[in-house]
Amino acid sequence: MKKLNLLIATFFGLGVLVAQAQIQKGNVLIKNATVLTVTKGNLESSDVLVQNGIITQIGKNLTAPAGVTAIDATGKYVMPGIIDAHSHVGLDVVNEGSAPITSEIRMKDVVNPTEIGLYRALAGGVTVSHAMHGSANVVGGQNATLKHRWGSMDPADVIMQDAPRTIKFALGENPTRVHGRGNGIQPRSRMGVEAVIRNGFNEAIQYKKAWEAYQLAKAQKGNTTPPPAYSERLQTLADILDGKIIIHCHSYRADEIYMLINVVKDFNIKKVVFQHTNEGFKVAPEIAEYTMGASVFADWWAYKMEVYYSTAFNAAILQKNGAITSINSDSAELIRHLYHEAGKTQRYGGLTDEEALAMITINPAKQLGIEDKVGSIEVGKQADLVIFEGHPLSTYAVPQMTFVDGVKYFDRKADREDQRQWVAATEMVEPILLRANEEAHRCMQDVDKYFEAFQGAFVNEKH
Amino acid sequence: MNKQFLKAGMLGLLVAGWLSQAALAQSDPTGKRRVTSTYAIINATVFKAPGDPGSKATILIKDGVILGVGNSLSLPKEAKIIAGDSLFVYPGFIDGAGTMGIVKPKDVERPKDFVSSNPADEIAGITPWRSATDMYTAASTQVDDWRKAGFTLSQVIPDGGMLPGKTALVLLGDGKTNNFLKLNAALAANYRSSRGMYPATLAGVMAKFRDIYQNTSLVLDHERLFASTAGVKRPQATPTQLAMMPVVQKQIPVLFTASSELEIRRALALQKELGFKLILTGLENYESVIGAIKASNTPVLIKLQVPDDKSIKAQKSDGVTESTKAQYARVKESYDKALKLAAQLEKAGIPFGFSTADAKATDVQKNLKAMLDNGLSKKGALAALTTNPAAILGVSGMVGTLEKGKLANLVLTTDTLFKEEAQIKHVIADGYVFDYEVKKKAVKAEATTAKPEAASNAVTVEGVWEYTSETPAGSSGGEITLKRENGVLGGTITYDDPTGSGKASAPIKNASINGKALSFEFDVAAGGMSLTVTISGEINGKSMEGSLSVPQMGSFPVKATLSSPSQTNSL
Repeated sequence: MKKLNLLIATFFGLGVLVAQAQIQKGNVLIKNATVLTVTKGNLESSDVLVQNGIITQIGKNLTAPAGVTAIDATGKYVMPGIIDAHSHVGLDVVNEGSAPITSEIRMKDVVNPTEIGLYRALAGGVTVSHAMHGSANVVGGQNATLKHRWGSMDPADVIMQDAPRTIKFALGENPTRVHGRGNGIQPRSRMGVEAVIRNGFNEAIQYKKAWEAYQLAKAQKGNTTPPPAYSERLQTLADILDGKIIIHCHSYRADEIYMLINVVKDFNIKKVVFQHTNEGFKVAPEIAEYTMGASVFADWWAYKMEVYYSTAFNAAILQKNGAITSINSDSAELIRHLYHEAGKTQRYGGLTDEEALAMITINPAKQLGIEDKVGSIEVGKQADLVIFEGHPLSTYAVPQMTFVDGVKYFDRKADREDQRQWVAATEMVEPILLRANEEAHRCMQDVDKYFEAFQGAFVNEKH
Repeated sequence: MNKQFLKAGMLGLLVAGWLSQAALAQSDPTGKRRVTSTYAIINATVFKAPGDPGSKATILIKDGVILGVGNSLSLPKEAKIIAGDSLFVYPGFIDGAGTMGIVKPKDVERPKDFVSSNPADEIAGITPWRSATDMYTAASTQVDDWRKAGFTLSQVIPDGGMLPGKTALVLLGDGKTNNFLKLNAALAANYRSSRGMYPATLAGVMAKFRDIYQNTSLVLDHERLFASTAGVKRPQATPTQLAMMPVVQKQIPVLFTASSELEIRRALALQKELGFKLILTGLENYESVIGAIKASNTPVLIKLQVPDDKSIKAQKSDGVTESTKAQYARVKESYDKALKLAAQLEKAGIPFGFSTADAKATDVQKNLKAMLDNGLSKKGALAALTTNPAAILGVSGMVGTLEKGKLANLVLTTDTLFKEEAQIKHVIADGYVFDYEVKKKAVKAEATTAKPEAASNAVTVEGVWEYTSETPAGSSGGEITLKRENGVLGGTITYDDPTGSGKASAPIKNASINGKALSFEFDVAAGGMSLTVTISGEINGKSMEGSLSVPQMGSFPVKATLSSPSQTNSL
């Protein structure tokens, strides 16, 4: 199909430009691996067949149809592509922090498909990330769910177009610091945060009514009702009320988590996921009953006042209480080894392999509303797959190949030293100093000169 | 030329203008008034349009209009004759979008009850009602510089925030008036966010653009309803909405500055979503979006400047690791690709023009040469300087070619255009003739590598020069110390530190002496940026006169005297 398109495109003089604009779908047969399906158990010495980007067969002794490459994965593990429900990788802008509500902001506007963090995430087996607005405002921008189709220059190619809309909310210290203390406007306190949300939704209800009234009046003969003002900010809040958008709410303390549960209950909103949720363990039954769960850190804590009351058992407690729970990165570094982060739930909470892996696959998929498409190895799902050397929850696990829609975007054997997609023509190439930070510490000042004399003998790093 | 006249100041201009209006027969006390506005360029080699092989012809112009191009024109007595036998005549160059002569208006003061989450449009850089005409001055040295490079018409972009205002087409003719050809030609837009207020980021700018656009559209609906039906609430458009109306009604395009591929894609996406007329300007990196530009049929103006080769020159051959070499190779690859971009646009059949914004007038020839050396055709280059921007700006009927009835915008060169030896001798803009000194270029081999004993025109260059320069910021100066080491001219220069008081010093680079002509460059760090300043001039005995040019600012006169010549090494 692709070949045909290319042929047609060439004939019409458009070269490969047209072909490039289409999202690639791959064909591949992964043979003889331990398949960790996450939802359907583990399959020993099994094959996974991918055709046109979709998993079409899982079983033993499958044969590769014509034109499908077979990969021998004997002794290796195949798991679903890892999904990070909280990331800021691949974005040129994170916070439009200038107003308490900025729901009109679209992170899709500022996706940068060439950011190297996306490739590094692929190298850690992550195929889908939730590129979120930051937490500077109570209601932040609309997030983008990305598929890591590395190599495209077009943001549209890395955006998961069939993922539902999501939006960032934030409670607690961040929005009160930026707006209340920083700018002297509401919210200055946690009470103010609640007021901003409630006022926002109430305004959105009025906005929606005004537009409905106008649409009705407009159809009438001799209409005298002028159009109301347009506000994508309020329209987006109205879309949340209508269940069209999933809220992903930055939160830490149990009281504010419970506050938001009450707010969304009052406005009859069902789709809400808590992010970070360090005190989620205190309100785990409530989270389980009323929300789409919590996406938490494995063990990050104590980086500010509101995250002191934390435990590494958080994920396991939430999970045991029946809350959909995922482990996220919120970091361009952690995103490279989320399988390690998931493994921590076994040390702190004794989760099974399947439960631990679900934390970085099917559970975040549910929270992003894409569990029917990705998050497990099942026939009919999109073929986002990772081949691991060693079990992914082992300390010695190393991702070997990562596929998105059956197309291989990372291969450890083909990993080049310089994977950047784009280099500025005017870039000044400076030597990379692995030891630069050491020099910043005064306690080692001037010692370098001493080392220089012996450099040939002791130091191998030449960068 | 006109410079001394300009110094008379604005009041003088007005009085003089009034006098000449009031009594045409009176003598001209300034002695500057034109004797005639009719000129005939006799028997020149004329290139009427891109692709024209050129033929001998005479061009007659009067009052800024071409009266004829041909071989049997009858010339009126008052025609001033320009002997064209050894000259080559081309249509005057057109700057698709530039900032020459534009001075940024002062920022609006913030009110005491300023709310950063919802600032007034004017404070947030949203001023679509402003016009470049209010920020433009024809007497700017930048205008002189670009005219000297062959430009006769520019679409000037107002300076400001995300929607700074409307552009204007100006002719680079007489410096006494502003010579506007078309007002409110386009709405300027860019991704500039407002510091410390909404919209504070690129994401905010895009959302705000949609908001303004959609609400303008709704106000228009409201106005139509009000006009057609009794009993409708009075519409109340804001100044921003009023100024956006011609854009929403597709009467004028949005001139969007977008230099990178992602910026271009974002502008194209906004256009697709909202449906306005779009012109992209300031393009620098666009390899992967050429297909998208072509498919959307969007007119483009690329930056008339190839990337700086500083980083390429800084690449070392010795003592670097393999991985550094690999990085060098990638930068070089990127650099080589950048030089080929214009040719790629031409190949894709996209009729692009140039933008002079952020480009250097003195580098025009060098930049065009780089593009031509990398595959752009001469026809394509001339089209990008003339007919393409004329079409993009909607003024093809007036400018872009040399034809009867078109505006008298011409460039007269000493050799065929784009030849290295070719120099611009005259520029005629709006019927005003500007003469430029043509330098006799010395034999090339004697340039930078000339050995002392080989130089015939011996001038003393080494030693300490004291210089002064007149810039808009006032008079400044310092010392230039020139020294030859191993046959290479180098040294240091001191200048007034732009970041504070006192003097700063910088090494001199790319110095060359060619006969009496001296030129060199140095880098000035200002506000986190590094600017390359070029000084070039002619040495006469112990004095040097020339110009100091700063990218994006223009060039300014500079004078220097050799205060302590070097004893040993005088050439």
